[in-house]
Amino acid sequence: MNKILLIIQREYLSRVKKKSFIVMTLLTPVIFAGFYGIMIYFSIQGIKGTTNKIAVVNTNKTLTEKLVSSKNATYTYVNKPLAAMKADLAKDGYDYVLYLPEFSLNAPAGIQLLGTKQAGLNLNNKVSDDVENAIRNQKLKQSGLAQQDLDNLKSSVDIDMKKIGETGKEEDSSAGASTIIAYVGGILMFMFILLYGIQVMRGVIEEKTNRIIEVMISSVKPFQLMMGKIIGIAMVGLTQFILWIVLTGIISTAVVKIYADKTNITQSSVSAALKKQNENKIFKEATEKSPIGNIQKSLANLNLTKIITLFLFFFLGGYLFYSALYAAIGSAVDSETETQQFMFPVMLPLLLGYSLSLSVVTNDPYGNMAFWLSMIPFTSPIAMMVRLPYGVPDWQLALSMALLILGFIGTVWVASRIYRVGILMYGKKTSMKEMIKWFTYKN
Amino acid sequence: MLSVNNIVKQYAEHRALDDVSLRVEQGKIFGLLGPNGAGKTSLIRIITQITAPDSGEVIFSGQRLNSNHIARIGYLPEERGLYKKMEIGEQVLYLARLKGLSTAEATKRVRYWFEKLEMGGWWNKKVEDLSKGMQQKVQFVATILHQPELIILDEPFSGFDPVNAEIIKNEILELNKQGATFIFSTHRMESVEELCDSIALIHRSKKILDGSVEEIKEKYRNNTYWLEYEGQYNTDLPSDIFDILHKELKKGKTTLKVQLKEGRSANNMLAALLPVVNIQRLDEVIPTMNDIFIDKVKTKD
Repeated sequence: MNKILLIIQREYLSRVKKKSFIVMTLLTPVIFAGFYGIMIYFSIQGIKGTTNKIAVVNTNKTLTEKLVSSKNATYTYVNKPLAAMKADLAKDGYDYVLYLPEFSLNAPAGIQLLGTKQAGLNLNNKVSDDVENAIRNQKLKQSGLAQQDLDNLKSSVDIDMKKIGETGKEEDSSAGASTIIAYVGGILMFMFILLYGIQVMRGVIEEKTNRIIEVMISSVKPFQLMMGKIIGIAMVGLTQFILWIVLTGIISTAVVKIYADKTNITQSSVSAALKKQNENKIFKEATEKSPIGNIQKSLANLNLTKIITLFLFFFLGGYLFYSALYAAIGSAVDSETETQQFMFPVMLPLLLGYSLSLSVVTNDPYGNMAFWLSMIPFTSPIAMMVRLPYGVPDWQLALSMALLILGFIGTVWVASRIYRVGILMYGKKTSMKEMIKWFTYKN
Repeated sequence: MLSVNNIVKQYAEHRALDDVSLRVEQGKIFGLLGPNGAGKTSLIRIITQITAPDSGEVIFSGQRLNSNHIARIGYLPEERGLYKKMEIGEQVLYLARLKGLSTAEATKRVRYWFEKLEMGGWWNKKVEDLSKGMQQKVQFVATILHQPELIILDEPFSGFDPVNAEIIKNEILELNKQGATFIFSTHRMESVEELCDSIALIHRSKKILDGSVEEIKEKYRNNTYWLEYEGQYNTDLPSDIFDILHKELKKGKTTLKVQLKEGRSANNMLAALLPVVNIQRLDEVIPTMNDIFIDKVKTKD
């Protein structure tokens, strides 16, 4: 037992002390936080938008209803002919000219939006909506409705999605946010299993090509060496993961705070408390309405601790399950280039689990396919991570976890039998058939 | 010290060891010889408990070999290496601790050996910065650091320059004097003659020869002599004392390799020659281990 601890210690320290580990660990949260910041920035910009000043030249006598200005487009009616307005556009401080020619209200035609810049699709849609609204209001008034009635017609609808929880309590939910969290969880799980599984394989190959393996095996049992390596690298993975969570948290908070402070400073000099309030409102609105706002809202209800705990469990389980297989592959070859033929059969279920989880499971998280994918140990770590944000019954979780534990005990057992023979074989190309033969060798 | 009794080891279609028995005496240097693929490594792997035999047993200091013996055996495999990215000092410490030494004790001994073998400044170096010979020295230290009673060295001198080979040879002899038993596996017969007390020759999975080096050499003496003289002696005449195996003429000197006939002695030969020629040299040809090795392996083939 003492020997396994020594091996774990070496495997762990030799990796954690590496420059590449430190750089990766520090850099990834910065990239994450940067990404997060950029998303917030753009959602704020999207809501603030740019205000387009539009001069309206109306030569239509039937359309008396005025276009209503809004945040993104302000309409000013001018008494100039189109040609003059076109010439004075920049001088008068307008961005565009909207020309409304004579047309019948039933078949509007010939409307033009002119500007020095090409109007974007959003603005085009906005203006055409506004014109349509004006025409509709005009028609409604003609049929005898008063302005007051028109105002009464408007009502804004905002659907608030709730999921009825197991306890009967209503929980805020958002299909979009669940999907995003499911995707992130699934991708992270896939990356982690692959990344650290391959590290185990590399470690085994390194010991073989360095020829230290025989020295080691005369001191410790092959099983101890294999498990020491697998556990040591698992702890490297956990360390990295926890550091990522902590660092991402710290950096995100810092970035958001700095951003908020900066807007405060610029605003205070203008001395418009009102505007500041407005900014804050926009900021709040931005974070609430954007996907990030949704994620934050849903995260609050998703029981993050549960998700992270389960993520760690399924990561460890999935990693142990696959890394034992990777260790067996590493033991059977002399160099990394020879691993191809064995990698494929091991990669296949992982890839299958990954692609099915992100397509089938996200579409139908409670279906048969989702159920089986999240039970079979080959795919369950990824599939379960994807299902988790949508809610999984406790008994299914427990069954899946039990199956995964049985699964990795199985793969560790199979792998250790191949490993103990494989590590002492040099300079020979190994086939699948031979590996099966090794499995049946007596000690 | 160590006795190997009727070991059989079978790999799929290949029988690596076929009923091999041998004894290694306490405090001796034992040579394990044999051509490539004869089964030496398989036998060593059984003694170091890397693999287990299909039948037969190994007795170590009167006990059946078990995992408690791992710390009492040191093994330097032929296929040996170190972790490339690890620092030397740390690495040797790690290997010593895996053999059961405490960190403090291991550190003390590593320092002692590094000092002794002029490796003092290597502690923080990485393996990839060392030459092959330097790496070999590190491996040798790692093998003997836990003061094993039995030290198994597989081709210990390969990769060493003559100076370092001499240093290592002297360390081996010194450790041997202090009581360590050695098993030596090698192809270099001159080092066998220099170092080994007794040997076993394994060929095609079977032991075909064993015993003390002196006894074996004695057994393989076959009354052959080198003879050098000046003067005329008609070598074409048949002789009832000796046969001529080889003849060379140089600057009036004749060199002969002769084998005495059954029941004749060197004195008989000299008596026949002395009246005719001026004898300058007479040597008995004592077979080298190399000759014996080649002879044994060839006749078996």
